Parts: sequence; C-alpha cells; structure tokens
Amino acid sequence: MLPHMDAAYNLARWLLRNEHDARDSVQEAYLRAFRAFTQFRGNDGRAWLLTIVRNVCYSKLRSSRRIAEVEAFNENEHGIVNESAETAERLRREVSSELLASTLADLPEAMLEIIVLHDLEGMSYKDISSVVGIPLGTVMSRLARSRLRLQKELLERLSKESSHGL
Amino acid sequence: MDCNQIRPLIPAHLDGELDVIRDAEVIAHLDRCPTCADAALAHAANRGLIQEKLPRFTAPLELHTDIRAALQAEAKPTAQRQVLPFLTKTLGLAASVAFGVFVGFTWGNSHSHANHLVEEAVTDHIRSLQANHLTDVTSTDQHTVKPWFAGKVDFSPPVIDLAAAGFPLAGGRLEHLDNQPAVALVFHRRQHAINLYIWPVNTAAVSPRHAERNGYHVEAWSLNGFNFLAVSEIPAVELAQFAETFRTSQH
Repeated sequence: MLPHMDAAYNLARWLLRNEHDARDSVQEAYLRAFRAFTQFRGNDGRAWLLTIVRNVCYSKLRSSRRIAEVEAFNENEHGIVNESAETAERLRREVSSELLASTLADLPEAMLEIIVLHDLEGMSYKDISSVVGIPLGTVMSRLARSRLRLQKELLERLSKESSHGL
Repeated sequence: MDCNQIRPLIPAHLDGELDVIRDAEVIAHLDRCPTCADAALAHAANRGLIQEKLPRFTAPLELHTDIRAALQAEAKPTAQRQVLPFLTKTLGLAASVAFGVFVGFTWGNSHSHANHLVEEAVTDHIRSLQANHLTDVTSTDQHTVKPWFAGKVDFSPPVIDLAAAGFPLAGGRLEHLDNQPAVALVFHRRQHAINLYIWPVNTAAVSPRHAERNGYHVEAWSLNGFNFLAVSEIPAVELAQFAETFRTSQH
C-alpha cells in the first residue's frame, strides 16, 4: 500500500486544501486500511485505499464548517455551455498552473475530486465509480461537467486578470 | 446516432472509455459533423490543459516515515489477537509477514503505470511534431540509422526500413521514456509521422495493448528483450498494421 502514498496524499491535499490536515488524514487512512485489510477482497489496492482516504477526508470536512457545501451537489446542474475549440485552445496556452490550481481548489469537492482522480491519478471511470460510490454513467457525466465548469471559471478569472492589468 | 446522443459521449471517447462499437459510432459522426468535431476539439484542449498543467502533490518524506512507524507500532501489540486474524489463522502468516503484504501491496498499480506511459509517449509524439525536432539522424537507410545510435545508448535497437509495406523510415532520435533512455524511430505514412519508441525491458515488459488519446493511437508490445510503443495520428487499423509489419520483419 505504501507505493500508493502519493496518490493518497494528492487526493487528501486537494480535498482538504492544506498540508497539515492532508497528512493527518492520510496517516489515519493508512491505519484504518491496515486494520481492515482482512476484509479487502478486491484486487485493486489503490482504489480501495483511496476510498478510505476519501471517507476520512469527508468526515473531516463535515466536522468543520462545510457540511452544506459537502452534501450539496446538483447532479443536473445545467447552463454550462461548450466553449469553441478556439477559446479552449487559447485557455490552454494562457492559463498558468497557479491559476488552474487555485481555480480548481474553489470548485465543490464533488467536482474537484473527480478531476483529481481521473486527470491527475489516471484512474479509469470504473475505479472512480468504486472510490466515489456513484454509477459509471454518473462518473462520465460528472467528469465532463466538472471539466466544463472549471473551464468556465478559468475564462472568467482570465478576463478579470487581463482587465486588472490595463 | 444524432448530435444530441453523440455529444455526451465525446469526453468518454477522448478518455478511451467507450466500448468499441459506440466509439466507432462517435468517430464516424465526428468525421461528418463539423459542429461536433469542433466540440470534440474544445473538450480535448480543455482536457489537455488540465492534464498538462494541474500540479500533483506528492507525499512529504516525513509522512512516509511517520506512517511506516505508525503501522509497525500498530502491528506489534495486537499481533495474535486482532490484527489480520483471517490471514494469520487460515494461512498461518505471522503478523510481520502480514505487515509486509500490506506495505508492499501494489496490485492495480500496473494499470496506471501503463496509462502514464501512454500519456508520456503521446505527449512526446506531439512535442516532436510541434518543435520540428522529429529526427536527430535523418536517413531512410537503416544501415545509417542503426550505427548512429551506437555509443549514444547502451543497447542496440532493431532498425528496419518498412518502405516496402508503405512505412518508409525517415530517421531516429534519442529519447527518454519511462524514466530511462529510449530511441525513437520515425516512419512516414503519407504526410503523417509515426514515432516508434524502443527501450530495453529492464524492469517491466509492456503488456500488448492499443490505446487512444486525443485522437492519437498507440500500439505497445514487447519482443526479444525490447519494449515497443508506436504513436501516430494515422487510423488505428493502419497503426496496427504497422506494428504487425514491424514485428514480423524482426524475425
């Protein structure tokens, strides 16, 4: 399980948004995983461990201020339009890693975690479905919508940045 | 299927998550529908932005030390009583062994490793096209390309010209893939380039697979102590044909 520590820490660090809580949670998750290892019947240790990491992180989030925000996620949120390929390409060139990271950090956990699991950890839809506990079809639609939402926020922040610069 | 049915499938198509049949339907639709094709390009660019620029956090060194210590402390006092009664009873494993099993458990890692390798190769392929740095040695003659690598890498990769099969050799260059030195052979197919990455099987042989990322196709295989990974934007069937031709010409 130790080889998965970067994946565990990356998920916790994004969900909790600070290093201290992330370290605590990963350590807690490893202890829980160790105690529960006998019940582990799957063959994907990483998905199993990340499920535990995620549970620990969500408990922490719930016990702090963000209960409503954690629970509330509208699966049918509409109104996000597809940008043109031209706009998307411009964003790809102009958006910095810093802007991308700070924008993602402001998205709801449900959107943030699915992008982290897929686009940073390279997990399959199937593995994400088991970690997050949602059906495969929901993984597909939520990931797509999360990426679009991120794009929309990036576009807004980028135009704000450039108007400040004038 | 019409545009309304295709649209929601585009991201999954780009992620290589569709079954073969639906994937083929999406590809066919994108070929004849410029609006959906533009949407696919937009998705691909957005996905590319995220995957290229989003930083990944890595566990601090002290966390490794802390967790190892915490697990060892956990394993000791309760060795017979609580920890892993299943393993200890049914398999007769000592707690220390169970600890080792837990610590070293890495199944599931190979899948993501293969994915990373594909991403790395595709990114490198795109970069080689953009930067106009396709070849360090430019020659259609395999007897020029092969000796050029001698002394530059510590292995001698198979270099074969496949002009007779419609894939003329264009040259080669030095690369780095999967954290080790590799060579890239460049082949042409009409106006397109095929990068064939070759590196010795030092640690892990790549499992045969084909994959698709952002419209680029990948064929991977392992033969005679070398790993091979071919990347190109040519259609998947043609790349598979290229891979097959290269494999059979090696004998």
